[in-house]
Amino acid sequence: MNDVLFNIGYGHFLVLAALLFLIGMAGVMIRRNALIILMSVELMLNAANMTLITFSRMWGGMGALSAHTFALIVIGVAAAEASVGLAIVVAVFRGRRNVDVDRLTTLRH
Amino acid sequence: MIATLAFLFAQPVTATVIKHAPHLDTIESTGKGMALFFWVFAAVSVGGALFVVTRRNLIAAVMGMVGSFIGIAAVYMMLYASFLAVVQMLVYAGAIMVLFVFVIMILNRPEDEPVAPSGRVGQGLGALAILYLVGRLAMLLIHVHVPAAAVTAPAMLTYPGAADPVAWGGVKSVGMDLFGAGLFPFEAISILLLVAVVGAIAIARPLHEDAVPKDPNNPNDPAVEGHSV
Repeated sequence: MNDVLFNIGYGHFLVLAALLFLIGMAGVMIRRNALIILMSVELMLNAANMTLITFSRMWGGMGALSAHTFALIVIGVAAAEASVGLAIVVAVFRGRRNVDVDRLTTLRH
Repeated sequence: MIATLAFLFAQPVTATVIKHAPHLDTIESTGKGMALFFWVFAAVSVGGALFVVTRRNLIAAVMGMVGSFIGIAAVYMMLYASFLAVVQMLVYAGAIMVLFVFVIMILNRPEDEPVAPSGRVGQGLGALAILYLVGRLAMLLIHVHVPAAAVTAPAMLTYPGAADPVAWGGVKSVGMDLFGAGLFPFEAISILLLVAVVGAIAIARPLHEDAVPKDPNNPNDPAVEGHSV
């Protein structure tokens, strides 16, 4: 028990990333508000980034810094996704006066 | 005040302690202080994430998200990804948080229900999936024999000049990789961001403005100034 508490290894970081990913996935599944769903997607992207960086640290050398580049690209994609997603939320709200994804059933048949 | 500033700027910039003691890399990764910081920031990030998922108030959810991102940035710092930690703070805890807060202010509506009351089947399936994943994670933690590499401390960095672990994930080394091997993705991400900006403006603009021809010289034109929203 003391080993787990005081010796912080790579497994700790990986489990933390997995927990964050799980929480984000739970948010996507149980919440109805589109904004909360977008935030949960951001959390999941962050968890994936943390896994990448942990493995990069595990590998060590200079070549492993490509994972940092990868994480930077992921951050850029997440920013683009957030801006477009929030624009879609605003557009949907303008038409329907709510952002409840359970009520967006126009394309369902 | 000025004396304090002068004192701060008079401090040597180089991290001499780390340079002269490369074994500190192992010690600072296994010591009690490192463990304490890890648990504190892990609790902050997980607690913030739980806040996002459970709060009914949207502003509270965004603040939880910011706390979670700050905790994640601190964890990045523990993994010697110092540049990424700063980028995380700037982009997520700064820009994206402001974006979310702006949209929440535009919407300005309290949420009806935090958890969907309809769709019992989907809810049950989701709960089952989450329980399965949590169970697998718990089994991983309890039953699976953890290899020694996972519980031992992060190994020493092995590359020329490894005596300074701060330089490993710093601006210079990440920049060398970003503008070397990652040059094409870097340029592609700039085009993607440009497309996202234009797309966001195109999506969020009121639709019926397209139908009305705008005359910027006419002050009575309803399409020019905010009347059309």
